[in-house]
Amino acid sequence: MKRFDCLKAIAPYFRDELVVTNLGGVRHEWYALRPHPGNYHLQNLGLTSSVGLGLALALPHRRVVIFDGDGSLLLNLGSLATIANFSPKNLVHVVFDNGCYESSRGAPTATAGVTDLAAVAKGAGFAHTATATEIEDFEENFLKAFRSSELHFIVAKVEPGMGDVPPAPLDSQENKYTFVRYIEKTEKVSILGSPQSRGSDLKER
Amino acid sequence: MGTYENSRRILEALKEAGISLMASVPDINLKELIELIGQDKEIVHVPVGREEEGIGVCTGAYLAGKRPAILMQNAGLMNSCNALTTTALQFGIPVLLLVYYAGDMGDDAFHMLGLLTEPVLSGLGIKYAVMRDPARVKRDISAAVTSAQASKRPVALVLTRAVL
Repeated sequence: MKRFDCLKAIAPYFRDELVVTNLGGVRHEWYALRPHPGNYHLQNLGLTSSVGLGLALALPHRRVVIFDGDGSLLLNLGSLATIANFSPKNLVHVVFDNGCYESSRGAPTATAGVTDLAAVAKGAGFAHTATATEIEDFEENFLKAFRSSELHFIVAKVEPGMGDVPPAPLDSQENKYTFVRYIEKTEKVSILGSPQSRGSDLKER
Repeated sequence: MGTYENSRRILEALKEAGISLMASVPDINLKELIELIGQDKEIVHVPVGREEEGIGVCTGAYLAGKRPAILMQNAGLMNSCNALTTTALQFGIPVLLLVYYAGDMGDDAFHMLGLLTEPVLSGLGIKYAVMRDPARVKRDISAAVTSAQASKRPVALVLTRAVL
C-alpha cells in the first residue's frame, strides 16, 4: 500500500476540515490532491500530533485531521497520552507508517522492529485504534473515524516512496497567513489584528 | 515555593492580557499557579508531558484563534529549543513563555540551568524580561503579550521566586 494512494482514496471526502501535515513527502502529496487554505504544513519532525491537538481544542466544532509519520510520532510519543486524556471528539490522528525515516534516506524506525504504534496509542488511552494494510481497509477505517464524534487513531502501513507530484509551493510564513486568514474568515474572529492587551502604555513604567 | 496570593496576581494579569489557553509542565515552585489555572473556567489548561508538546499545542491553538502561553521550568525551555526554532520562530507564532528561573542567583540547585537560561533565550532571538517585582507583574505580562502579538514571535518572562 502506498501513502499517495491512501490520500487519493480519502481526499474527495474533505470539505472545510482542517489538516495538519508532517514534515516530508506527505505535505507535497496532500497539497497536490487538496490545495486548500485549511491545510497546515509543518516544517518540524515530531509536533504534528501536538499542533493537531491545539487546533482541535481551540475549535471544537471543526473537524481536524492529522497526517503524521512513524518517525515523527516516535519523536513525540508522549503527545499520545496528552491527546488521549483530552480525547477531543473532533480529532482524527492518521499515521502513515513506512517503517523508516524516509526523508533522512531511509534509516529504519522502531516500527521496522517490534513496535506497534496502534498498541502504543491504545495504551496511552485512545479508545479507537486501527491498523490498515490495504487501501479499502484504510478508507473504511478513515471514513468511520471522519464521520464519528469520537477520537480515532489509524495506522496505515505503507511502503516507502513518494507520489509523482510537484513540490508544494508554500513558504512557512505564507502558509501561516493563508491558514489564519481562512480561520478568521470562516470563524469570524480576529487573530492577526493589532495588539489588544491593556495596561501596556510605556509611559506608565 | 509559590504562594496563592502571588499566583492569583499572575493569573489575573494573564487573563487581562487575553491569554486563553495555557500548556504547562509542573515545577515545585509553580504548583499554586498551575492549580489555579486548572481551576479557571475561562482558560483552557493543557497539561503536557514534555515542553516541546506544549509549544506544538500553543502553535495549533494560536492558528485557530486562541491566545496561548506555556508555563514551565527553565529545564523545559531547554527541552523546547527545537520546537521553538522549527515551529514557533519559523512560522512566527506569538506564544508567551513563562519560565521559572531555577538556578537563579542565590538558588542552591540547578546552577547550570541558571547560568544558561538567559544566553539560550538570547541565542534563540527571543525577547525576554526577568520578573523580580510582584508589584510589576501586571505591567510585565501585559507588555510581553503586546510584544509577542506585535512581533508575531515567542516572548519570554522569566519568573523568579519573588513573584511566585
